[in-house]
Amino acid sequence: MLQSGRKETVLDLAKFVDKGVQVKLTGGGQVTGTLKVYDQLLNLVLDGAVESVRDHDDPLKTSDQTRVLGLIVCRGTAVMLVSPTDGTEEIANPFVQPEAV
Amino acid sequence: MASNNPSQLLPSELIDRCIGSKIRVIMKGDKELVGVLKGFDVYVNMVLEDVTEYEITAEGSRVTKLDQILLNGNNIAILVPGGAPEDVE
Repeated sequence: MLQSGRKETVLDLAKFVDKGVQVKLTGGGQVTGTLKVYDQLLNLVLDGAVESVRDHDDPLKTSDQTRVLGLIVCRGTAVMLVSPTDGTEEIANPFVQPEAV
Repeated sequence: MASNNPSQLLPSELIDRCIGSKIRVIMKGDKELVGVLKGFDVYVNMVLEDVTEYEITAEGSRVTKLDQILLNGNNIAILVPGGAPEDVE
């Protein structure tokens, strides 16, 4: 039970160290990389980071373009989501409506 | 850097090692800045020098700013040591 007075995170990132993670950021950006270091504020150090570039015309869509960033620091204030890449796969869009409505 | 124990190398220490060299700051929106890092504070507000500003939406229109700027850490998302502004695929 997380009832201690200490500020603990619900997810201990220690088990993700040296593993691939996907990080989604407020503002819509998305980065995948190997988690090397983290702190209590959720600042992250990712190695071999690849940024998914969003569609120029529609910021809500991610295009297939990627950008290799390398060793980066992700600001904890911008981190919205951290998930492991292992066990994650891309599927066909289940929300796409048929063309003829 | 690989020789250090990862549990002791905080992200803020990695930023600290960039002081004096080029760094690329990616904001939460579609803006990036590349410049020489002079310093930062606990909120990661940053002082940058010889800064080039990039807008990602308009295919990278550049605004070059000289001297020193104080960059508000509120909207900083990613820091890339080394700059490398021409890596857009």
